[in-house]
Amino acid sequence: MAQFHLEMKVNGKAIALDIDPGLRLLDVLRDILHLTGTKEGCGEGECGACSVILDDELVDSCLILAPQAYGREVITIEGLALNGELDPYQQAFLEVGAVQCGYCTPGMILAARVLLNHKPKPSQQEIARAISGNLCRCTGYAKIVQGVEIAASIKETKEGVSRA
Amino acid sequence: MPDLSEYYQPQSLTAALELLAKSNGKLIPLAGGTDIVPAMGKGELKANGLVDLSKLSEIRRISMDDSEIKIGSLTTFAQIETSPLIQAKASLLADAAAAVGSPQIRTTGTIGGNIANASPAADTVTALVTLDAQARLDSIKGSRRVLVSELLCGVGKTNIHPQEIITEITFKIPSTGSKTGFIKLGRRKALAIARMNLAIIVTLDNGKISFARVGLGAVGPNPRRYPVLENSLVGQSPSESLIDEFAIEAEREVTRVLGSRPSAIYKCEAVKGIARDLLKKMFSDSGQGVV
Repeated sequence: MAQFHLEMKVNGKAIALDIDPGLRLLDVLRDILHLTGTKEGCGEGECGACSVILDDELVDSCLILAPQAYGREVITIEGLALNGELDPYQQAFLEVGAVQCGYCTPGMILAARVLLNHKPKPSQQEIARAISGNLCRCTGYAKIVQGVEIAASIKETKEGVSRA
Repeated sequence: MPDLSEYYQPQSLTAALELLAKSNGKLIPLAGGTDIVPAMGKGELKANGLVDLSKLSEIRRISMDDSEIKIGSLTTFAQIETSPLIQAKASLLADAAAAVGSPQIRTTGTIGGNIANASPAADTVTALVTLDAQARLDSIKGSRRVLVSELLCGVGKTNIHPQEIITEITFKIPSTGSKTGFIKLGRRKALAIARMNLAIIVTLDNGKISFARVGLGAVGPNPRRYPVLENSLVGQSPSESLIDEFAIEAEREVTRVLGSRPSAIYKCEAVKGIARDLLKKMFSDSGQGVV
Protein backbone atom coordinates (compact mmCIF):
# COMPACT_ATOMS: atom_id res chain seq x y z
CA MET A 1 0.00 0.00 0.00
CA ALA A 2 1.26 3.46 -0.92
CA GLN A 3 1.90 6.18 1.64
CA PHE A 4 1.50 9.87 1.09
CA HIS A 5 3.19 12.63 3.01
CA LEU A 6 0.49 15.23 3.51
CA GLU A 7 1.22 18.79 4.49
CA MET A 8 -1.61 21.26 4.83
CA LYS A 9 -2.93 23.96 7.11
CA VAL A 10 -5.98 23.15 9.17
CA ASN A 11 -7.66 25.98 11.04
CA GLY A 12 -4.48 28.00 10.83
CA LYS A 13 -2.22 25.23 12.10
CA ALA A 14 0.41 23.56 9.90
CA ILE A 15 -0.07 19.80 9.80
CA ALA A 16 2.26 17.14 8.43
CA LEU A 17 1.44 13.43 8.48
CA ASP A 18 1.92 10.25 6.51
CA ILE A 19 -1.36 8.81 5.35
CA ASP A 20 -2.90 6.20 3.11
CA PRO A 21 -3.60 8.23 -0.07
CA GLY A 22 -6.99 6.54 -0.49
CA LEU A 23 -8.33 8.45 2.51
CA ARG A 24 -10.76 11.23 1.80
CA LEU A 25 -10.17 14.66 3.29
CA LEU A 26 -13.18 13.91 5.51
CA ASP A 27 -11.53 10.76 6.90
CA VAL A 28 -8.33 12.60 7.77
CA LEU A 29 -10.23 15.44 9.47
CA ARG A 30 -12.48 13.19 11.51
CA ASP A 31 -10.51 10.02 12.17
CA ILE A 32 -6.92 11.27 12.34
CA LEU A 33 -7.23 14.90 13.42
CA HIS A 34 -10.40 14.18 15.49
CA LEU A 35 -12.15 17.26 14.14
CA THR A 36 -15.54 15.60 14.35
CA GLY A 37 -17.54 18.78 13.78
CA THR A 38 -17.37 17.91 10.09
CA LYS A 39 -20.10 15.31 9.51
CA GLU A 40 -20.50 12.51 7.03
CA GLY A 41 -24.00 12.31 5.61
CA CYS A 42 -24.47 10.73 2.23
CA GLY A 43 -20.84 10.28 1.24
CA GLU A 44 -21.56 11.22 -2.36
CA GLY A 45 -21.89 15.00 -2.48
CA GLU A 46 -25.66 15.25 -2.13
CA CYS A 47 -26.05 16.57 1.41
CA GLY A 48 -23.16 18.92 2.17
CA ALA A 49 -22.84 17.84 5.82
CA CYS A 50 -19.11 17.32 5.20
CA SER A 51 -18.57 20.82 3.78
CA VAL A 52 -15.29 22.50 4.68
CA ILE A 53 -13.55 25.59 3.35
CA LEU A 54 -10.54 24.83 1.16
CA ASP A 55 -8.58 27.93 0.15
CA ASP A 56 -11.64 30.19 0.53
CA GLU A 57 -13.95 27.87 -1.40
CA LEU A 58 -16.61 25.54 -0.08
CA VAL A 59 -15.98 21.88 -0.91
CA ASP A 60 -17.48 18.54 0.09
CA SER A 61 -14.70 16.81 2.01
CA CYS A 62 -16.19 13.42 1.09
CA LEU A 63 -15.59 14.04 -2.61
CA ILE A 64 -11.88 14.71 -2.53
CA LEU A 65 -8.95 12.64 -1.44
CA ALA A 66 -6.84 14.07 1.36
CA PRO A 67 -3.72 14.35 -0.85
CA GLN A 68 -5.62 16.81 -3.06
CA ALA A 69 -5.47 19.24 -0.13
CA TYR A 70 -1.67 19.18 -0.14
CA GLY A 71 -0.25 22.67 0.40
CA ARG A 72 -3.70 24.16 0.87
CA GLU A 73 -5.59 25.66 3.77
CA VAL A 74 -8.60 23.93 5.30
CA ILE A 75 -11.08 25.58 7.65
CA THR A 76 -13.52 23.40 9.56
CA ILE A 77 -16.25 24.43 11.98
CA GLU A 78 -13.73 24.07 14.83
CA GLY A 79 -11.71 26.90 13.28
CA LEU A 80 -14.41 29.53 13.76
CA ALA A 81 -14.69 30.29 17.46
CA LEU A 82 -11.71 32.31 18.65
CA ASN A 83 -10.59 31.99 22.30
CA GLY A 84 -13.92 30.54 23.26
CA GLU A 85 -15.87 33.40 21.72
CA LEU A 86 -18.42 32.40 19.10
CA ASP A 87 -18.04 33.96 15.70
CA PRO A 88 -20.94 35.95 14.15
CA TYR A 89 -22.27 32.96 12.23
CA GLN A 90 -22.47 30.74 15.28
CA GLN A 91 -23.98 33.56 17.33
CA ALA A 92 -26.61 34.31 14.70
CA PHE A 93 -27.59 30.66 14.22
CA LEU A 94 -28.06 30.28 17.98
CA GLU A 95 -29.96 33.51 18.31
CA VAL A 96 -32.53 32.72 15.66
CA GLY A 97 -32.85 28.99 16.32
CA ALA A 98 -31.41 27.91 13.00
CA VAL A 99 -30.13 24.75 14.69
CA GLN A 100 -32.36 21.78 15.41
CA CYS A 101 -30.71 18.39 15.24
CA GLY A 102 -27.48 20.16 14.33
CA TYR A 103 -26.16 17.67 11.82
CA CYS A 104 -26.21 20.10 8.87
CA THR A 105 -25.17 23.12 10.92
CA PRO A 106 -21.37 23.00 10.50
CA GLY A 107 -21.75 22.80 6.72
CA MET A 108 -24.42 25.50 6.67
CA ILE A 109 -22.29 27.87 8.72
CA LEU A 110 -19.24 27.33 6.52
CA ALA A 111 -21.38 27.88 3.40
CA ALA A 112 -22.62 31.13 4.94
CA ARG A 113 -19.08 32.21 5.73
CA VAL A 114 -17.90 31.69 2.15
CA LEU A 115 -20.93 33.61 0.88
CA LEU A 116 -20.43 36.59 3.20
CA ASN A 117 -16.72 36.72 2.34
CA HIS A 118 -17.70 37.38 -1.27
CA LYS A 119 -20.94 39.23 -0.66
CA PRO A 120 -21.27 41.01 2.68
CA LYS A 121 -24.96 41.84 2.12
CA PRO A 122 -26.55 38.96 0.26
CA SER A 123 -30.19 38.83 -0.82
CA GLN A 124 -32.40 35.96 0.37
CA GLN A 125 -32.09 34.45 -3.08
CA GLU A 126 -28.31 34.60 -2.95
CA ILE A 127 -28.38 32.96 0.48
CA ALA A 128 -30.64 30.20 -0.83
CA ARG A 129 -28.29 29.58 -3.72
CA ALA A 130 -25.23 29.58 -1.46
CA ILE A 131 -26.71 26.89 0.78
CA SER A 132 -28.25 24.91 -2.10
CA GLY A 133 -25.65 22.17 -1.65
CA ASN A 134 -26.50 21.71 2.04
CA LEU A 135 -29.53 19.70 3.04
CA CYS A 136 -31.45 20.31 6.27
CA ARG A 137 -34.26 17.95 7.19
CA CYS A 138 -35.43 19.83 10.31
CA THR A 139 -35.71 23.57 9.92
CA GLY A 140 -37.37 24.08 6.58
CA TYR A 141 -34.51 26.51 5.85
CA ALA A 142 -36.38 29.71 6.82
CA LYS A 143 -34.49 30.07 10.11
CA ILE A 144 -31.20 29.27 8.43
CA VAL A 145 -31.67 31.99 5.82
CA GLN A 146 -32.62 34.35 8.64
CA GLY A 147 -29.50 33.26 10.57
CA VAL A 148 -27.28 34.15 7.64
CA GLU A 149 -28.95 37.57 7.36
CA ILE A 150 -28.35 38.21 11.07
CA ALA A 151 -24.74 37.03 10.75
CA ALA A 152 -24.30 39.55 7.95
CA SER A 153 -25.53 42.39 10.13
CA ILE A 154 -23.48 41.28 13.18
CA LYS A 155 -20.41 41.17 10.95
CA GLU A 156 -21.17 44.59 9.53
CA THR A 157 -21.53 46.13 13.00
CA LYS A 158 -18.35 44.44 14.24
CA GLU A 159 -16.35 45.55 11.25
CA GLY A 160 -17.79 49.05 11.59
CA VAL A 161 -16.67 49.11 15.24
CA SER A 162 -13.20 47.82 14.46
CA ARG A 163 -12.77 50.42 11.74
CA ALA A 164 -13.88 53.29 14.01
CA MET B 1 -11.80 2.94 1.10
CA PRO B 2 -9.85 2.24 -2.09
CA ASP B 3 -6.64 0.30 -1.61
CA LEU B 4 -4.22 2.24 -3.76
CA SER B 5 -0.87 0.67 -4.42
CA GLU B 6 0.45 3.81 -6.12
CA TYR B 7 -0.31 7.50 -5.77
CA TYR B 8 1.51 10.28 -7.57
CA GLN B 9 1.10 14.02 -7.41
CA PRO B 10 3.22 15.34 -10.28
CA GLN B 11 4.18 19.01 -10.34
CA SER B 12 4.17 19.34 -14.13
CA LEU B 13 2.16 18.05 -17.07
CA THR B 14 5.25 16.42 -18.55
CA ALA B 15 5.83 14.49 -15.34
CA ALA B 16 2.17 13.40 -15.32
CA LEU B 17 2.36 12.19 -18.92
CA GLU B 18 5.56 10.26 -18.22
CA LEU B 19 3.90 8.49 -15.30
CA LEU B 20 0.91 7.51 -17.43
CA ALA B 21 3.15 6.33 -20.28
CA LYS B 22 5.16 4.11 -17.95
CA SER B 23 2.20 2.69 -16.07
CA ASN B 24 0.83 0.54 -18.89
CA GLY B 25 -2.72 1.63 -18.23
CA LYS B 26 -2.59 0.86 -14.51
CA LEU B 27 -2.78 4.47 -13.36
CA ILE B 28 -5.91 6.58 -13.65
CA PRO B 29 -5.72 10.38 -13.85
CA LEU B 30 -7.56 12.14 -11.02
CA ALA B 31 -8.95 15.61 -11.79
CA GLY B 32 -11.43 17.15 -9.33
CA GLY B 33 -12.43 13.79 -7.91
CA THR B 34 -16.16 14.46 -7.50
CA ASP B 35 -17.10 11.43 -9.62
CA ILE B 36 -14.11 9.15 -9.09
CA VAL B 37 -13.75 9.47 -5.31
CA PRO B 38 -17.27 8.29 -4.38
CA ALA B 39 -17.16 5.66 -7.15
CA MET B 40 -13.97 4.20 -5.66
CA GLY B 41 -15.51 4.33 -2.19
CA LYS B 42 -18.48 2.27 -3.35
CA GLY B 43 -16.24 -0.14 -5.21
CA GLU B 44 -17.78 0.80 -8.57
CA LEU B 45 -14.39 1.89 -9.81
CA LYS B 46 -11.32 -0.19 -9.14
CA ALA B 47 -8.08 1.73 -9.40
CA ASN B 48 -4.64 0.33 -8.87
CA GLY B 49 -3.14 3.76 -8.60
CA LEU B 50 -3.85 7.40 -9.32
CA VAL B 51 -2.07 10.30 -10.95
CA ASP B 52 -3.43 13.28 -9.03
CA LEU B 53 -3.48 16.26 -11.40
CA SER B 54 -4.35 18.82 -8.72
CA LYS B 55 -0.99 20.61 -8.84
CA LEU B 56 -1.03 21.24 -12.61
CA SER B 57 -2.06 24.90 -12.51
CA GLU B 58 -0.80 25.22 -16.10
CA ILE B 59 -4.03 23.59 -17.30
CA ARG B 60 -6.37 25.50 -15.00
CA ARG B 61 -7.04 28.72 -16.91
CA ILE B 62 -9.34 30.41 -19.41
CA SER B 63 -8.01 32.49 -22.29
CA MET B 64 -8.99 33.85 -25.67
CA ASP B 65 -7.06 34.41 -28.86
CA ASP B 66 -8.51 35.84 -32.08
CA SER B 67 -11.73 33.95 -32.49
CA GLU B 68 -11.16 31.07 -30.12
CA ILE B 69 -11.69 30.43 -26.43
CA LYS B 70 -9.33 28.03 -24.67
CA ILE B 71 -10.20 26.41 -21.37
CA GLY B 72 -7.64 24.34 -19.49
CA SER B 73 -9.10 20.96 -18.64
CA LEU B 74 -8.68 21.42 -14.88
CA THR B 75 -10.71 24.62 -14.86
CA THR B 76 -13.53 24.17 -12.37
CA PHE B 77 -17.22 24.69 -13.06
CA ALA B 78 -17.18 27.62 -10.62
CA GLN B 79 -14.39 29.31 -12.57
CA ILE B 80 -16.32 28.86 -15.83
CA GLU B 81 -19.62 29.96 -14.33
CA THR B 82 -18.10 33.22 -13.04
CA SER B 83 -15.72 33.96 -15.92
CA PRO B 84 -16.68 37.33 -17.49
CA LEU B 85 -15.20 36.08 -20.77
CA ILE B 86 -17.36 32.95 -20.89
CA GLN B 87 -20.43 34.89 -19.72
CA ALA B 88 -19.94 37.41 -22.53
CA LYS B 89 -18.88 35.15 -25.38
CA ALA B 90 -20.50 31.78 -24.65
CA SER B 91 -23.17 32.26 -22.02
CA LEU B 92 -24.59 28.79 -22.73
CA LEU B 93 -21.42 27.30 -21.24
CA ALA B 94 -21.50 29.61 -18.20
CA ASP B 95 -25.14 28.61 -17.65
CA ALA B 96 -24.32 24.92 -18.08
CA ALA B 97 -21.47 25.17 -15.56
CA ALA B 98 -23.79 26.97 -13.13
CA ALA B 99 -26.30 24.11 -13.48
CA VAL B 100 -23.85 21.43 -12.32
CA GLY B 101 -24.47 19.81 -8.94
CA SER B 102 -24.06 22.15 -5.99
CA PRO B 103 -21.73 25.04 -5.09
CA GLN B 104 -19.40 22.49 -3.47
CA ILE B 105 -19.28 20.30 -6.56
CA ARG B 106 -18.72 23.32 -8.80
CA THR B 107 -15.66 24.49 -6.87
CA THR B 108 -14.14 21.02 -7.18
CA GLY B 109 -15.33 19.38 -10.41
CA THR B 110 -13.57 20.17 -13.66
CA ILE B 111 -14.62 20.54 -17.27
CA GLY B 112 -12.08 17.94 -18.40
CA GLY B 113 -13.44 15.52 -15.83
CA ASN B 114 -16.98 16.16 -17.05
CA ILE B 115 -15.93 15.02 -20.54
CA ALA B 116 -13.80 12.07 -19.42
CA ASN B 117 -16.54 10.78 -17.13
CA ALA B 118 -18.84 10.58 -20.20
CA SER B 119 -22.12 10.74 -18.33
CA PRO B 120 -25.19 10.94 -20.58
CA ALA B 121 -26.38 13.88 -18.49
CA ALA B 122 -23.11 15.88 -18.25
CA ASP B 123 -24.25 19.50 -18.26
CA THR B 124 -21.20 21.23 -19.69
CA VAL B 125 -20.78 18.52 -22.32
CA THR B 126 -24.15 19.40 -23.87
CA ALA B 127 -22.97 23.01 -24.18
CA LEU B 128 -19.58 21.93 -25.54
CA VAL B 129 -20.92 19.67 -28.30
CA THR B 130 -23.31 22.45 -29.29
CA LEU B 131 -20.29 24.77 -29.61
CA ASP B 132 -18.49 22.11 -31.71
CA ALA B 133 -15.76 22.23 -29.08
CA GLN B 134 -12.56 20.29 -29.50
CA ALA B 135 -10.54 18.58 -26.82
CA ARG B 136 -6.77 18.55 -26.90
CA LEU B 137 -5.30 15.27 -25.70
CA ASP B 138 -1.67 15.05 -24.71
CA SER B 139 0.53 12.05 -24.23
CA ILE B 140 4.26 11.63 -24.09
CA LYS B 141 4.17 10.94 -27.84
CA GLY B 142 2.48 14.20 -28.78
CA SER B 143 -0.94 15.74 -28.91
CA ARG B 144 -4.11 15.47 -30.93
CA ARG B 145 -7.30 17.46 -31.20
CA VAL B 146 -10.65 15.72 -31.39
CA LEU B 147 -14.20 17.02 -31.44
CA VAL B 148 -15.67 16.44 -27.98
CA SER B 149 -18.60 14.72 -29.70
CA GLU B 150 -16.21 12.25 -31.34
CA LEU B 151 -14.37 11.57 -28.10
CA LEU B 152 -17.54 10.22 -26.49
CA CYS B 153 -18.63 6.73 -27.43
CA GLY B 154 -21.27 5.59 -25.01
CA VAL B 155 -22.28 5.78 -21.37
CA GLY B 156 -19.04 6.20 -19.39
CA LYS B 157 -16.98 5.45 -22.50
CA THR B 158 -14.51 7.63 -24.39
CA ASN B 159 -11.77 7.24 -26.99
CA ILE B 160 -9.19 8.66 -24.62
CA HIS B 161 -6.14 6.38 -24.55
CA PRO B 162 -4.93 5.28 -21.10
CA GLN B 163 -1.69 7.25 -21.53
CA GLU B 164 -3.49 10.45 -22.56
CA ILE B 165 -4.85 13.39 -20.58
CA ILE B 166 -7.36 15.95 -21.81
CA THR B 167 -5.41 19.19 -21.40
CA GLU B 168 -7.52 21.83 -23.09
CA ILE B 169 -10.93 22.49 -24.57
CA THR B 170 -11.23 24.98 -27.41
CA PHE B 171 -14.11 26.38 -29.42
CA LYS B 172 -14.81 29.18 -31.86
CA ILE B 173 -16.66 32.10 -30.34
CA PRO B 174 -20.18 32.22 -31.82
CA SER B 175 -20.29 35.03 -34.39
CA THR B 176 -21.38 38.51 -33.40
CA GLY B 177 -25.14 38.79 -33.14
CA SER B 178 -25.55 35.19 -32.00
CA LYS B 179 -27.74 34.31 -29.07
CA THR B 180 -26.92 31.32 -26.93
CA GLY B 181 -28.76 29.57 -24.14
CA PHE B 182 -28.80 26.49 -21.93
CA ILE B 183 -31.56 24.94 -19.88
CA LYS B 184 -31.62 21.96 -17.57
CA LEU B 185 -34.49 19.93 -16.29
CA GLY B 186 -33.78 18.20 -13.01
CA ARG B 187 -35.95 16.70 -10.30
CA ARG B 188 -35.18 19.74 -8.20
CA LYS B 189 -33.17 22.90 -8.72
CA ALA B 190 -29.95 22.12 -6.90
CA LEU B 191 -27.91 18.96 -7.04
CA ALA B 192 -30.11 17.15 -9.49
CA ILE B 193 -28.60 15.05 -12.22
CA ALA B 194 -30.09 16.33 -15.44
CA ARG B 195 -33.19 14.47 -16.57
CA MET B 196 -32.54 16.37 -19.74
CA ASN B 197 -30.60 19.40 -20.84
CA LEU B 198 -30.69 21.52 -23.97
CA ALA B 199 -28.28 24.05 -25.46
CA ILE B 200 -29.00 26.31 -28.42
CA ILE B 201 -27.01 28.81 -30.48
CA VAL B 202 -28.74 30.92 -33.14
CA THR B 203 -27.26 33.65 -35.31
CA LEU B 204 -29.64 36.25 -36.63
CA ASP B 205 -29.13 38.01 -39.95
CA ASN B 206 -31.68 40.68 -40.85
CA GLY B 207 -34.25 39.13 -38.58
CA LYS B 208 -33.76 35.59 -39.92
CA ILE B 209 -31.90 32.72 -38.33
CA SER B 210 -28.86 32.10 -40.54
CA PHE B 211 -27.12 29.57 -38.30
CA ALA B 212 -28.35 27.22 -35.61
CA ARG B 213 -26.85 24.63 -33.30
CA VAL B 214 -28.94 22.46 -31.02
CA GLY B 215 -27.54 20.00 -28.48
CA LEU B 216 -29.47 17.68 -26.20
CA GLY B 217 -28.21 15.74 -23.21
CA ALA B 218 -29.61 12.79 -21.25
CA VAL B 219 -31.52 11.58 -24.30
CA GLY B 220 -28.95 9.39 -26.04
CA PRO B 221 -25.90 7.69 -24.43
CA ASN B 222 -23.96 10.99 -24.68
CA PRO B 223 -25.01 14.57 -25.31
CA ARG B 224 -24.91 15.38 -29.02
CA ARG B 225 -26.09 17.79 -31.71
CA TYR B 226 -29.41 17.21 -33.42
CA PRO B 227 -29.11 18.46 -37.04
CA VAL B 228 -32.83 17.93 -37.72
CA LEU B 229 -33.63 20.44 -34.98
CA GLU B 230 -30.98 22.84 -36.23
CA ASN B 231 -32.43 22.71 -39.75
CA SER B 232 -35.90 23.41 -38.41
CA LEU B 233 -34.63 26.79 -37.18
CA VAL B 234 -32.44 27.92 -40.08
CA GLY B 235 -34.11 30.36 -42.47
CA GLN B 236 -36.94 31.10 -40.02
CA SER B 237 -37.71 34.29 -38.11
CA PRO B 238 -38.09 34.17 -34.34
CA SER B 239 -41.78 33.98 -33.52
CA GLU B 240 -44.30 32.28 -31.24
CA SER B 241 -45.19 29.84 -33.99
CA LEU B 242 -41.55 28.96 -34.61
CA ILE B 243 -41.22 28.15 -30.91
CA ASP B 244 -44.25 25.83 -31.14
CA GLU B 245 -42.98 24.15 -34.31
CA PHE B 246 -39.56 23.66 -32.76
CA ALA B 247 -41.08 22.11 -29.63
CA ILE B 248 -43.05 19.63 -31.75
CA GLU B 249 -39.97 18.83 -33.81
CA ALA B 250 -37.99 18.25 -30.59
CA GLU B 251 -40.68 15.88 -29.32
CA ARG B 252 -40.51 13.95 -32.62
CA GLU B 253 -36.72 13.66 -32.42
CA VAL B 254 -36.70 12.50 -28.81
CA THR B 255 -39.44 9.97 -29.60
CA ARG B 256 -37.35 8.67 -32.50
CA VAL B 257 -34.20 8.35 -30.37
CA LEU B 258 -35.79 6.84 -27.28
CA GLY B 259 -38.20 4.48 -29.02
CA SER B 260 -40.08 2.42 -26.47
CA ARG B 261 -37.83 3.05 -23.47
CA PRO B 262 -39.69 3.59 -20.21
CA SER B 263 -38.39 7.15 -19.91
CA ALA B 264 -39.70 8.07 -23.36
CA ILE B 265 -43.19 9.13 -22.29
CA TYR B 266 -41.81 11.57 -19.76
CA LYS B 267 -38.95 12.88 -21.85
CA CYS B 268 -40.96 13.42 -25.04
CA GLU B 269 -43.34 15.64 -23.12
CA ALA B 270 -40.62 17.31 -21.09
CA VAL B 271 -38.47 18.27 -24.06
CA LYS B 272 -41.33 20.39 -25.41
CA GLY B 273 -41.40 22.35 -22.18
CA ILE B 274 -37.68 23.05 -21.97
CA ALA B 275 -37.50 23.83 -25.71
CA ARG B 276 -40.29 26.40 -25.34
CA ASP B 277 -38.82 27.93 -22.19
CA LEU B 278 -35.35 28.27 -23.64
CA LEU B 279 -36.32 29.65 -27.05
CA LYS B 280 -38.74 32.09 -25.45
CA LYS B 281 -35.96 33.40 -23.24
CA MET B 282 -33.53 33.62 -26.16
CA PHE B 283 -36.00 35.33 -28.52
CA SER B 284 -37.05 37.92 -25.97
CA ASP B 285 -35.21 41.21 -26.24
CA SER B 286 -33.57 40.88 -22.85
CA GLY B 287 -30.14 40.94 -24.45
CA GLN B 288 -29.28 37.92 -22.35
CA GLY B 289 -26.86 35.54 -24.00
CA VAL B 290 -26.16 37.87 -26.91
CA VAL B 291 -22.59 37.60 -28.15
